[in-house]
Amino acid sequence: MASDAVIGVGRARTLANGAIYALLLFSCVLLGLPFFWMLVTSLKSPHELAAYPPSWWPESPQWGNYAEAWRSAPFGRMYVNSLAAGFAATALQVGLALLMAYAFAFIRFPARRFWLLLVLATMMIPDEMKLVPNYLTLSRLDWINTYWALIIPPAAHAFPVFGFYQQFRMVPSALFDAAKADGAGHWRILWRVVLPMSRPVLVAVTLVSFLGRWNDFLWPLIVTDTASMRTLPVGLAYLKKQAEEGASPWHLMMAAALFIVIPVVILYSILQKQFVEGITKGAIKG
Amino acid sequence: MLDAGRRPLARAFRRNGREWLTFLLFVGPNLALFAVFTYWPILRSFVLSFTKWNLLAPAPEWAGLANYRRLFADPTFWRVALNTFIYAVAVVAVAQACAFLLALLLNRPLRGRALLRTIAFLPHVTTTAVAALVWVIVLHPHYGPLSSLYAALGVNGPNWLESASLALFAVIAVGIWKEIGFASLFFLAGLQGLPADCYEAAALDGVRPLSRLWHITIPLMSPVIFFLLVTGFIAATKAFDSVAIMTEGGPVYPASSTYVYHLYKLGFRDFQAGLASALACIFFIVTVAITALQFRMASRWVHYGE
Repeated sequence: MASDAVIGVGRARTLANGAIYALLLFSCVLLGLPFFWMLVTSLKSPHELAAYPPSWWPESPQWGNYAEAWRSAPFGRMYVNSLAAGFAATALQVGLALLMAYAFAFIRFPARRFWLLLVLATMMIPDEMKLVPNYLTLSRLDWINTYWALIIPPAAHAFPVFGFYQQFRMVPSALFDAAKADGAGHWRILWRVVLPMSRPVLVAVTLVSFLGRWNDFLWPLIVTDTASMRTLPVGLAYLKKQAEEGASPWHLMMAAALFIVIPVVILYSILQKQFVEGITKGAIKG
Repeated sequence: MLDAGRRPLARAFRRNGREWLTFLLFVGPNLALFAVFTYWPILRSFVLSFTKWNLLAPAPEWAGLANYRRLFADPTFWRVALNTFIYAVAVVAVAQACAFLLALLLNRPLRGRALLRTIAFLPHVTTTAVAALVWVIVLHPHYGPLSSLYAALGVNGPNWLESASLALFAVIAVGIWKEIGFASLFFLAGLQGLPADCYEAAALDGVRPLSRLWHITIPLMSPVIFFLLVTGFIAATKAFDSVAIMTEGGPVYPASSTYVYHLYKLGFRDFQAGLASALACIFFIVTVAITALQFRMASRWVHYGE
């Protein structure tokens, strides 16, 4: 009797596990389908693309599509723009935030909490609210369609300040006091004591900052107006607009789309843990 | 001494001057950027919202409340606000529900769990502009995978992006797709932090799994659910990239336009800086109000375990 019941439970569990696997597989297929379709479409010939119903696997993969897509728009230049502006803005954002967060955490100053709140409160403000005035400021500075426009305005952001500040508060004060007693100044303490202890946060914040710049679409769309200054996402949008006017070379557009996501996918697969940590922390900003 | 007593600030500065200067050096550069590109734009948005300016005229012209009056009388404004509301509610509700189920499934020792989590999270890091472009073809009545289904059934598939009633839902699909893995990560982290003894006690008392879910898991998870609802909703109201790539608000504007897309259109296509600023200020006020409201509602049903 007893063993019968155990077998029954065992069977029910196997069945339940099977159902769970099936459900998980189904959700992964759904979530992964757009990636799969992007890849398959990018390898089709124009002839195969036109077939109805569509094929789910390219008859003979057209690797030449990638070269053709690369030539269809100044992708080399746009890659340089995206990378250069992304790296510069990230470096500036992270560097300035480090200094600011350190000061808020460790340097005495009148009404320090007030200044901190003044900065952190900006996390509630939708970035979209700043579009028109910032555009006006940039055109006043004659920065429209320059790297300055892509780099400087996004550099001041409260999210990395918040991320670093939270981390710095956890540095044991005994350690800080000891360094101080040794006669180390703030600059030295930041580099020698605080930063080495905060490496995981530094990596996470840097990744999220860079991802934000790489994926950004609205701001570069507004402040660039020539093909040579566009970043990758904006360039892709223009490619789509051109395609709408003529025939639709969807295989080429999917190849171009892959140029943009592949660096992100590679970076994400290598540094998955840091990515997830940075993004979940960044979500607090909303 | 008398002198020092009369001027406490000067005395304090003599004592702490070096420290203060260091603080200013560390905070100054970033705060200067904040001043120019965050605080000033907020003030300027409010000021501009009371003016009329097409960006070509030499200076904005005072218009009082005219922009606000014009917006509130404009059916396009209300349609765009409604679209944004539908978008945000649909994305948050569907993605959160799917994510919760996914997290429940993933919250057990299964082989290949790490790989599943990777795949689920990948849409979130994907550039939205790219995701939108890919979804254009996924939903395409001729080139997309759904057309295999249509062909098998012998029907003509809907042309999502060309349909005034469906276009918004195509944009919503991208939002949901990007949100599920992200939210499930939070849910999974929350589920893994739940106290095991609660479940052991419930199992001993013979509480059924579904009842356990309803009476133990969901109340204990309510802070996570609430956090994701607030942040998810606010993030969803900012949808722009997918609208710009997929529909530009069409097929007949504003069928699938969202608030931020409308702001972009007014400001940077129609060059109505004043009107766009009024739109931005309303957005700001509503965002702050929603945050406050949601936090007040939270005290009624969110359970913060001790």
